[in-house]
Amino acid sequence: MSIVLLIVAAAVPFMVMPFYVRVGQLILLSAALGLAWTLLGGFAGYWSFGHAAFIGLGAFSAGLFETELMKGQPLLGFGLGLIVGGVVCALAAAVVAWPILRLRGIYFAVAMLGVSQVLAELTNNVDVFKGSMGLVLPRIAAFGLRPEALFYDVLLIATVVVGCIAFAIKNGRIGAGLMAIREDEDTARMLGVPTERYKIMMFILSAALTGALGVIYAHSLGYITTSSVYRTEFSLNMIVYNLLGGMGTLVGPFLGSAVMVILTQVVLGRLLSIHMFITGALLVLLVLAAPKGIIGLFKGGLFGGRAKG
Amino acid sequence: MTISRRTMVKMAGGVALAAPAIRGASAQATKTITFGGSVPLSGGGAETGLNVNNGYATAVKFINEMGGVEIAGTKYKLELKLFDDASDPSRAVTLIQRQIDDGVDFYLGSFGSNIVLPTAAITERAEKPMVQAGGGSDQIFVQGYKYMFGFFPRATRQFLSTAAFIKTLAPPVQNYSVIYTNDAFSKTAATGVMNAMKAQGIPMLDSYAFPETITDASSVLAAIRAKTPEALICMTHDQDNLLLAKQMIATGTNVNLLFQGLGPQLGSFRDTLGKAANGIYFQTYWDERAPLKDRFFGTSAAFAAYYKKNYTRPLAYHVSAGAACIVTYLEAMMAAKSIDPAKVRDALANIDIETQYSRIKFTEQGDGDPVVMGPWVGQVVGGAPEVVSPANAKTAAYTYPTPPWAQRT
Amino acid sequence: MLAIQTIADGLVLGGLYALSAVGFSLIFGVMGVVNLSHGALVMIGAYLAWFVWHSLGVDPLLAIPVVMGVLAVFGYVYQRVLIQLAVDRSSHVASMLVTFGVALMLRNTLVLVFSPDLRSITPSYSGHPLVLGSIVLDPVRLAALAASLVLLGALAMILQRSKMGRVIRATAQQELAARLCGVNAHHIYGLTFAVSAAFAGAAGAILGIVLPFSPPDEGLWTLNAFVVVVLGGVGSPAGALVGGLVLGVMSTGTSQLIGAAFPNAMMFAVLVLMLLVRPSGLLGNAFAGSR
Repeated sequence: MSIVLLIVAAAVPFMVMPFYVRVGQLILLSAALGLAWTLLGGFAGYWSFGHAAFIGLGAFSAGLFETELMKGQPLLGFGLGLIVGGVVCALAAAVVAWPILRLRGIYFAVAMLGVSQVLAELTNNVDVFKGSMGLVLPRIAAFGLRPEALFYDVLLIATVVVGCIAFAIKNGRIGAGLMAIREDEDTARMLGVPTERYKIMMFILSAALTGALGVIYAHSLGYITTSSVYRTEFSLNMIVYNLLGGMGTLVGPFLGSAVMVILTQVVLGRLLSIHMFITGALLVLLVLAAPKGIIGLFKGGLFGGRAKG
Repeated sequence: MTISRRTMVKMAGGVALAAPAIRGASAQATKTITFGGSVPLSGGGAETGLNVNNGYATAVKFINEMGGVEIAGTKYKLELKLFDDASDPSRAVTLIQRQIDDGVDFYLGSFGSNIVLPTAAITERAEKPMVQAGGGSDQIFVQGYKYMFGFFPRATRQFLSTAAFIKTLAPPVQNYSVIYTNDAFSKTAATGVMNAMKAQGIPMLDSYAFPETITDASSVLAAIRAKTPEALICMTHDQDNLLLAKQMIATGTNVNLLFQGLGPQLGSFRDTLGKAANGIYFQTYWDERAPLKDRFFGTSAAFAAYYKKNYTRPLAYHVSAGAACIVTYLEAMMAAKSIDPAKVRDALANIDIETQYSRIKFTEQGDGDPVVMGPWVGQVVGGAPEVVSPANAKTAAYTYPTPPWAQRT
Repeated sequence: MLAIQTIADGLVLGGLYALSAVGFSLIFGVMGVVNLSHGALVMIGAYLAWFVWHSLGVDPLLAIPVVMGVLAVFGYVYQRVLIQLAVDRSSHVASMLVTFGVALMLRNTLVLVFSPDLRSITPSYSGHPLVLGSIVLDPVRLAALAASLVLLGALAMILQRSKMGRVIRATAQQELAARLCGVNAHHIYGLTFAVSAAFAGAAGAILGIVLPFSPPDEGLWTLNAFVVVVLGGVGSPAGALVGGLVLGVMSTGTSQLIGAAFPNAMMFAVLVLMLLVRPSGLLGNAFAGSR
């Protein structure tokens, strides 16, 4: 079934108007970001409020690398840029991982918020990073595809890759360990789960994937400033997609991002002045009506409303 | 390859998903010219966004009340289809694509280079013109875009006339300091200040950069009191400028000349400061008393009167500029005798007309000609914004040096 | 001399930070709820004060009781209707999303009602600098500091001495035990939220005389509250005061020593460091029992 879905998804750019390709692009980006976030947030229960830090760091490190060192080779630059963005984020995550992962719950969340704000302020105010003036990224073109179709395809591949990684982790040994951490970290450690190592690994992996996605996002815009990538909305939305779809699941981020993107861009897109109010109101309603996420609604129906605290 | 994809798109026209896209096409039957684009109405630039939006709406309403506009023998009504980009670039590009798909041919612009550039990339690719009165940073005009026209001269050129004015003051201004916000527009504008002042031979004492949001300027002001320049040039946002002025008054920080690019034009700004606002210099592009002719509105004063009849919101130069965007489009269509986007684009590139806002003429790169569309120097006199330079637009005599805050009347 | 001026400016700014964060700190400490709409409540206070000043000419500091009253009612209803429901049906973290949704709604409402324009309040005593030797102070900011200190003191008194304060503290430490003693915990949570919203409103009224404001500023005041609470410690007026003052001095000091562009970067860097070194804040958690 997933193969059929994939074929349908791959055919989208050839079948619909470019606007819907861009909507699809946004859904894929959001879903992939949600999945990257959930490696740590959903699986291990470490909610980061600051993953936009890695979108921004990935975008700007790759952007600077491509514009300074890879002039005239846009496609190669983009490919290497993905790696640069991912690696820089992985390194940054590795530096802060050990101390910051000792924090739990809301304290970890807030510390990540702080990290992203620090990076955003430095990117914007230290001239060499060009955050305030902005970076014009090399335009990439391949296979004669229009830009929205190209980025749709790139994001589709990225989403599949992130999805496979998340699937492998969730169903592997690490996944079991992460769930144990989420349920009760101290007990997990006593039972011999290498909690510290698992958390750090997931944090770095999550950061690297988010960074690479940030590189793609930046290229899809073509020009970025600090405020286009270091958006607190990004961080919050990654949580929203997961909560809305179903926290800790693999389908959740897809459902959540599809609902939110279609709602804000398609349904409310034409409104001039009250779309933000309606988005907020629907968010409130959705949390109250589907506390276990959309997937929880289905499961609740199937298993006869099993309640779990 | 491209052709086959287009065919696919057409075939998919019957698919439910693509249905909303057809609506635009059927609306064409009533002979309507639709203007699309985005304005920021809920993000940071919302205040100016609302002004430009009102300018667009005023022009569209006025011209429709006139019975529409005749282009190459056909009567057209105008329609405005704007959305709120919420200062979010991904939202802006997605929704501008929807308008392209809907068949909208003419675009009005948003604010901030991080919105204007990505959206312009899409309209450029679709070969649809965009006329905007919001993006002024230099990057917008060095991309080689052919379909993008901006009313304001690029930021680095906006201070040329003001620097020339400052040079004429007596006693001569010996030095200056500059404060700017770390964003693309303010930063390039500050570079423009430094270049222009250097060309006039006035040395700089200090420059101070602000982050995007500030809640306090006391330490910068303390530094300024310790090393006081004769002229203080503020290329910061209107909110920061008001905070700066309030704190300067409250701490008795006085300079001979305070120039604030944005802010003193706004009624709320001047009301807050009361008589202390008198004497603050600013940059303006328009005054309702300007002796300008407009094919549709008649004169600047007539435009102002019409606007005031329809809106209670105070007039600002962005309102006039917004209305002039529409008028410029219509003039270009008349000149081209067509509403074909490519022909209208060519007419825009060569346009040289007068509107109630100003004479309109673009540079090769699409920004406003710095001589004919450049800013005037304004000063608050008796609580009202007045033009003090150049001589042909002058509405009041300037005061220099400005008296200390406490002695202003 | 510049150093003393910088510290003085920082303390004056810090009072405002402290007051604007104390409500956030209180509900976080008592209920464990992170209120992302806190900044929006502050902005509502600012707009109410502006409205009263603009239409009736009443000084914002005198309007504070009215603003606090309105926001207290709003806060109580908000908690009982939405937050409690979210906490019961889902979790504390889910309630955070509810507050995010409400923040969007409130911000949009403020834009619609008051327009996105810049607003500012000019009290009658503004514009006459207070000169003490070589130090120059803004009388409006001093009035703001004084009002903030008085309000924080009053809140501390309420929490320590009054019956309501005792019940709030008891419920925060041991909800179950408090219930067993006949406390209606939901009502107490509602009251706590009411107090929190009232103080957010008061902070808004005061910031209105100090700073120009517009609806999108709500995000800034929510972020500031985070930093103040982490710096000072959760749940107590004293923690908020310490956090606020430290933040204020740090902010002006950074601006002076490193550059005007960097106070925000410094503020968040210290937030992160503080969390790593001493997550409970300088004064610790006022309701340690609940953690």
